[in-house]
Amino acid sequence: MKNTSIITPNQHALIRLPSEGMKVVELKPDQIINLGKFGSFKVNEILGYSYGQAFEILDDYMVRPIKSLMEDQVQPMENESTQEEEGQFTRKDIATILSESSENNQFIIDVGSQIQKLSSDDIDKLKNSGVSSDVGQQIIDKIIEGHAGFDKKTLFSQQKYLKRKQAKFFRRFSVDYLGGSQLLEYFLEKDNQRVFDMTTESLGLLFSYANVKPGGKYLLIDETGGVILYALMERMNGEGSIVSIHENEHPNHILLRNSDYTDEMIDRMVKPINWLQFVETNAEKINWKDEPEDVIENMKATRKAQYYRQKKRAQDINHVIDLVSEGNFDAFISVSKLHMPSVLPYILPKVGGSRPIAIYSEYKERLLETQHFLSVDRRILAPSIYESKVRHYQTIPGRMHPVMSSRGLDGYVLTGTRVYPKQEGITAVGRGISKKRRAQDETEKS
Amino acid sequence: MPFNSYKDIIEEGDLVLAYINRNHIKPIRVTKDEILNTRYGCFEHNEMIGMSYGEQMGGSRGYGYIYLLAFTPELWTVSLPHRTQIVYTHDSSYIIQRLNIVSGSRVIEAGTGSGSFSHAFSRTVGLEGKLFSYEFHEPRFIEAKAEFEDHGLDKNTLITHRDVCKDGFELHDIPQPFVKDSGIAADAIFLDLPSPWEAIPHLKAVASSTRRVGICCFSPCMEQVVKTVTALNENGWVDVEMVEVAGRRWEARKEMLKDVNDVIKRLKDIQARRNQGLELLKQSRASTPGEKREASNPESGEANPVKVQNTGMGFNPFGRGLRIKEGDEKFEWRDVTGIEPDIKTHTSYLTFAYLQPPPSARVSL
Ligand SMILES: C[S@@+](CC[C@H](N)C(=O)[O-])C[C@H]1O[C@@H](n2cnc3c(N)ncnc32)[C@H](O)[C@@H]1O
Repeated sequence: MKNTSIITPNQHALIRLPSEGMKVVELKPDQIINLGKFGSFKVNEILGYSYGQAFEILDDYMVRPIKSLMEDQVQPMENESTQEEEGQFTRKDIATILSESSENNQFIIDVGSQIQKLSSDDIDKLKNSGVSSDVGQQIIDKIIEGHAGFDKKTLFSQQKYLKRKQAKFFRRFSVDYLGGSQLLEYFLEKDNQRVFDMTTESLGLLFSYANVKPGGKYLLIDETGGVILYALMERMNGEGSIVSIHENEHPNHILLRNSDYTDEMIDRMVKPINWLQFVETNAEKINWKDEPEDVIENMKATRKAQYYRQKKRAQDINHVIDLVSEGNFDAFISVSKLHMPSVLPYILPKVGGSRPIAIYSEYKERLLETQHFLSVDRRILAPSIYESKVRHYQTIPGRMHPVMSSRGLDGYVLTGTRVYPKQEGITAVGRGISKKRRAQDETEKS
Repeated sequence: MPFNSYKDIIEEGDLVLAYINRNHIKPIRVTKDEILNTRYGCFEHNEMIGMSYGEQMGGSRGYGYIYLLAFTPELWTVSLPHRTQIVYTHDSSYIIQRLNIVSGSRVIEAGTGSGSFSHAFSRTVGLEGKLFSYEFHEPRFIEAKAEFEDHGLDKNTLITHRDVCKDGFELHDIPQPFVKDSGIAADAIFLDLPSPWEAIPHLKAVASSTRRVGICCFSPCMEQVVKTVTALNENGWVDVEMVEVAGRRWEARKEMLKDVNDVIKRLKDIQARRNQGLELLKQSRASTPGEKREASNPESGEANPVKVQNTGMGFNPFGRGLRIKEGDEKFEWRDVTGIEPDIKTHTSYLTFAYLQPPPSARVSL
């Protein structure tokens, strides 16, 4: 079983950088990991600390643990005077500096790079001055000192300016556990189309409305290459099964390699099936006959291995086909580009009574037509489209405000409950019902 | 155990959610000879026994219907009896996902309140995980405890009557199956109480010391957030970030397609009919309302039966004066989304932070 608390050799991890950049790495002992301008470090240096630990890079690929990646931003400002003479910057605490910001940019004089009294030569000198692990912070302090107009900047431009400088000079990183949420976050940053622009909040909605719990039997379409599958397996913690429908002959769960789950566990939980096998269960079943013992005995080693591979394949396919024929899935979860009104007629009969469906799309219109389809179909009760959007705040007491920019796109989740509507004999309460009720009461009286 | 297992057939003693409509979901305990009486019909429990979860059931007097649904924390959240403000799914689902709460997680929650979030936590952490819930208001504690037992949450949930701000979280007689590292050793903490900053100093004693522990403090006011952030910083929590979740529910609707050329045509029609005089008008009044009539489009010469209705009012392309069902096939529609009429613009601020084991706790591998 993989370790979810301690930075462990040969596991994948998420590296966070001061620039808000991220990197997925595999922690092979004795290797050097290069973080570009942030420096390089030896894997052994970080092993054994808890996930989440932040580090500063020292010389010779060494590191030292530090409190947090952006430590200086989260220091409380209490007991620190905020009264400073204009133009004099000696403060090291960025939070405090931010609190000094002018309310507008009335006094900013744009004199270009002259503002910055520190030449790039000076910066290089500082950088090379060697051992001090604080070198990044020193440079930033110096730059601010040299930046005559700094306090004249608006809050927004100060924030941007400092972020930029921090991102450039802090030789820091932190090592997070690479869970499904983190893998999603990574791809949202690196390759957002791959994960259909899905955010953590949408993934949370999807799984809550799908009522995911350990031991469930779920029907999944995951076209992200395995990010959703990984997050789902994580929620289930090894218990239960996932029938994963894919549109090519063979499944593409390539990103599952980031999960560090054993092949045994993946095999046990994940049952891939392609659409043809899913729809034409009988025709696609493999009619497997064991060879007699003595024939197997006499096979050449390679032939024997091939025989067992084929046998396992047949068993796997027949097993997943049986699961599908049996139906009664505990939820249907979809993150896909397929046209849902064409998909759902195959899916709905397979979903158990009173079990949810949860369908993600980054486009509301796609779910809109799906909801109209379901309203007519009636097998899904109260289909609704939900949207969650998280607004992030700069979290510094005295300077709380929403961050200045955020992603424009956010996704949608359509959910509802599988029901068995009666074909006839149902009268809704509404217009005309009082007549019926009166008639009924009268019959009862007579 | 309704929250941690799935069931197909309703048995006597089951908890069933009787779905009347979106705003009326009634939790019932299926009991022999009892009747569920609602404005929307009467439903005999005896008849429910043996029916499938998800089945539609007609009222015993020939009118009304309900759907018989199985419990889920999300349906419970919209049907539970409110004892306090509650956490809704938009917030709870994000908190669970962001704090990586999964099967096997150990979670602390205070206060329990109406138990809305408790059900979602309990479901998600499963039997491998544990939920430690605290409530200082005695009647509320008693109700929640009984409810948790009733719903089978007690298998993984331990509720304690305690003022956590004053007396902290430590428990002295934890039942053996709930113990880890001779205590609570929580992986994740959720505080939904008026002064989380008073509870924060007590957390170190119950947070796991061998892994990064996440916290979310849920407070409606900015002043509370500021105090919370300060307390988190002072108590060694890092990566403090406050966020807000905006949740929306959209409805699929149909909006009639109104072509301005039809408007013009209708005006022309009115004019023409006025000119033609009363005689013709009377004639058209005599024909049946709602009857479709083929008519040629004067511009294109195309027949457009959909928009042309002899309603006694001449050319009536948008069904003026008629009761028209959304999506009526006689008209042309566009699919649109409408938003629910009342949206929650603010529930609470969510302040996240993490407690990291000290670097000295590094283990050699
Ligand atoms: C808003 S409610 C919690 C609602 C809950 N999260 C839910 O989803 O149903 C807050 C609860 O915290 C309890 N509470 C407040 N201060 C407390 C304290 N110091 N110790 C324990 N419980 C407390 C209150 O009695 C109240 O029931």
